[in-house]
Amino acid sequence: MKKTVLILAVLLCSMAFSASVLAENDGVAAMDSDKTVKMAGGTPGGADWGYPAPFTFYPRGPGYSRMSLLFDTLTWKDADGVIPALADGWTVSDDGKTWTFYLDRNARWHDNELFTADDVKFTIEYMQDHEGEFTWFEAINYINDVQVIDDYTVVIDLNAPMASFLVDIAGNVPILPEHIWCDVSDPRTFKDDDAVIGTGPLKLVDYDSAMSSYQYEANYDYYDGKLLVDEFISMEVGDAPAALKTGDVDEVSFWGSEIIAVQDFKDNHPEFTIVTGPSFWVLQVIFNCDADDTKGYPTNILEFRQAIAHGIDRDEIVSQVLNDGGIPANTGIMHPDSIWYNPDCAVYEYNPDTANDILDSLGFTEKNSEGIRQYPAGAERSGNVEFYLYTTGKFSREAGLIQTDLAAIGIGIYVSPSTWGPIDDRLKAGNFDMVISGHGGISNPQIMRIPSWPASTYQNSEYDSIFTAQEVEMDLDTRKELVDQLQEVVADDLPVYTLYHPYMWCVYNPEVLDTWFYTRDGIGIGIPLELNKLIFLARYGDANENGEISMQDVTKMERMILELDDESDMADANQDDEINMQDVTHIELIILGRAPIRIG
Amino acid sequence: MHQISKLAYYFVIVLIILSINFSLPRAMPGDALSYLTDPGADIPVRMTEEKREILLAYYGLDKPLSEQYITYMVGIIRGDLGWSIYYSAPVLEVILGRLKWTLILVGTSTAIYITLGILLGATSAWARGRKRDMGLLISIISISSFPSFFLGILLAIIFGIKLDIFPISGAQTAFATYSSPLEEIFDILHHLVLPAATLVLSHIGGTYFLMRNSMLGVLGEDYIMTARAKGLSERYILHKHALTNALLPIVTMTAMTVGFMIMGTIFVETVFAYPGIGNLLYNAVSYNDYPLLQGIFLFLTIAIVGANFIADMIYIRLDPRVNHE
Repeated sequence: MKKTVLILAVLLCSMAFSASVLAENDGVAAMDSDKTVKMAGGTPGGADWGYPAPFTFYPRGPGYSRMSLLFDTLTWKDADGVIPALADGWTVSDDGKTWTFYLDRNARWHDNELFTADDVKFTIEYMQDHEGEFTWFEAINYINDVQVIDDYTVVIDLNAPMASFLVDIAGNVPILPEHIWCDVSDPRTFKDDDAVIGTGPLKLVDYDSAMSSYQYEANYDYYDGKLLVDEFISMEVGDAPAALKTGDVDEVSFWGSEIIAVQDFKDNHPEFTIVTGPSFWVLQVIFNCDADDTKGYPTNILEFRQAIAHGIDRDEIVSQVLNDGGIPANTGIMHPDSIWYNPDCAVYEYNPDTANDILDSLGFTEKNSEGIRQYPAGAERSGNVEFYLYTTGKFSREAGLIQTDLAAIGIGIYVSPSTWGPIDDRLKAGNFDMVISGHGGISNPQIMRIPSWPASTYQNSEYDSIFTAQEVEMDLDTRKELVDQLQEVVADDLPVYTLYHPYMWCVYNPEVLDTWFYTRDGIGIGIPLELNKLIFLARYGDANENGEISMQDVTKMERMILELDDESDMADANQDDEINMQDVTHIELIILGRAPIRIG
Repeated sequence: MHQISKLAYYFVIVLIILSINFSLPRAMPGDALSYLTDPGADIPVRMTEEKREILLAYYGLDKPLSEQYITYMVGIIRGDLGWSIYYSAPVLEVILGRLKWTLILVGTSTAIYITLGILLGATSAWARGRKRDMGLLISIISISSFPSFFLGILLAIIFGIKLDIFPISGAQTAFATYSSPLEEIFDILHHLVLPAATLVLSHIGGTYFLMRNSMLGVLGEDYIMTARAKGLSERYILHKHALTNALLPIVTMTAMTVGFMIMGTIFVETVFAYPGIGNLLYNAVSYNDYPLLQGIFLFLTIAIVGANFIADMIYIRLDPRVNHE
């Protein structure tokens, strides 16, 4: 018997939905005849994210999200987790290798051709042929075979069970129209108007790389819900807060230390709405853990790394550099707002005395006249305990604070800021002691593959086997336990010492569009941005602004929750006698708001 | 004959510079793919050795340097500057899209600051030591001492936010529909005012001081005294004798600053989110985008060498002695 996988998210929104439908609907104000929403697209010089076709966007989160407005995936994510998109529902075999997707029968391409299962099969095979020339859809290679059962049923066979399949493939890979892409031999250079024909809620009107601007229009024939806007523009602005205040744009976002601008909106401009989001980003000190002493000494000594951890005042960094626009990081890397967070990781309290005691016990007892410790006699290195701390110019303030902190425990630091290129070279060659570097994606356990990413001087075969085990573990709770273990190992072994997680904020004019939100565990594979296509769609009972429900306006999700859609496999799954009781209990807990929402 | 050898001389210079343009980006640490793994990005891309090789082959960066060099040179001759790795578009297209705006911004502001600088410098020198001179001197010294990005922010706050009479973002209203070409030109000029004013204010000092000094020197020359002795009118002496001779160093300086002007707009581009070559170069360097770097350097080379060539030509006209050297 196939184990029926329930689409958790279907039920997640039932509370919100029933509340908003059954209660008076005061949701959306009457819509203007022609509504345009403008968003600030990024920092000056960095608001261009490439032509929003599946192979030409710049491989960064904002590039992917601009593409994802045009192209749909089989699944997607909302504020609570995974939801159906081009797929109405799905089942998975007991061995976790065979996924059957039941596709939406109303979806059409922007050129009015019908979307069918053939497009899904074509996309996967096309991606596998061309993935090497692009970097975003690597996960596609987990797929072994695709079979079309009928126009709206497709079966995907994997090489091995893949726990993150619904997120990393089904929720990430944009489905391409076969009738257009079948003739495209080099997708990296394919930038015709046809290259942006998808099934998404928006259609591309214009893109100007030099002006860093994108213009989209509503796809009124969208198969799942009514469009809230007629036009959407992403553009470059010089001074984001000023542009929002003058009405040049309707939404801007801020990051970390920019909390000062956010505070100004909070205090002085109550007409704007502020949403706080997790950035799923971490800054960390990477240690050279190479067991070969000629390369790794002394940072390859665990106690030495622990001493440094005790010697760094992370609260001070958060306050000085981020203006308290963030939090000291989880020592196990995964973000506290992610479902994968392990709250029980080891914490290294800032305490120079503890740090000094550890260093003394390691034999680093002699000090020079400036208080810098000396290497013990006979050690791999001799003289002052001094290192270069390599980092990009962006993090030189953090480096400066760490320099001061470590001087207090007798470790000398030279800060060496540069561009990323030279640091990348050093990391690849293992030619470093300590590097400050950060990365995003810490809502997706796949980022834990190399804990000291992007370096790989840390070797731990036990860690690697836990990682591999969680990759194929289909049981959510068991997988969570494995990911918890990975975090504990990182926190105990300190291949990296995490410093902070910055916050993000989305500040917007609610009179223009009031639906901005941050996606649970990020858009696609974990993009922390607020530009989720769902903001353009009437959802969760807001579909109708008059307090009445027109069946045309009710989205797929809402239909299923109301059990109105007899044909839907997903709705059936919900009432099926064969439901695994363990899952039901969990879902019921979620509906009651008593359990964290998890992606399965 | 003389001009032909001059052309040959410029040709050799361009050839040497082109070779340097090819080797410099490749001498930088990191490689053309490092930007992909820059963990500062929101979603890091994991790169296996296998994938790196596929990508390097795709961009032709796996070939020996000599072969890449030949491809590059042949490409330039054929007008093909290659494919930008970061922008995923033809280099020529990427550059031309931004060059238009840089030319509008730099062209307008250079014309204005040179003309104004010459006029004010000459006026100042002519009125040396008097109130008018002192007034000009003090105000221009004060303005020139502000860094350009500070001036830009100041102008943006006053005229863009407080008074709200000029836009502070972009070169044109995004995706506006115009009823007439005139309306579009007005929109572009409207967006141009603040960035151009910033550039004019931050660059006028150089021209002004050079012109004032040069003019003061000329005014002390014997031939000016002779002209005065001949009883020529002051206006005639100023225009015919003094101004023409005092202009020579200005021509040299203008030619030399063209390159800096194109690059130096980066602060202004940043403050006003104005599209242009400055930010493009910055990004190309950050991302080690070899083909794009080569392309931008090529354009810079042409601009600077061209400006020097034009300056040489103007020199010949302004100073008959130059031709006989």
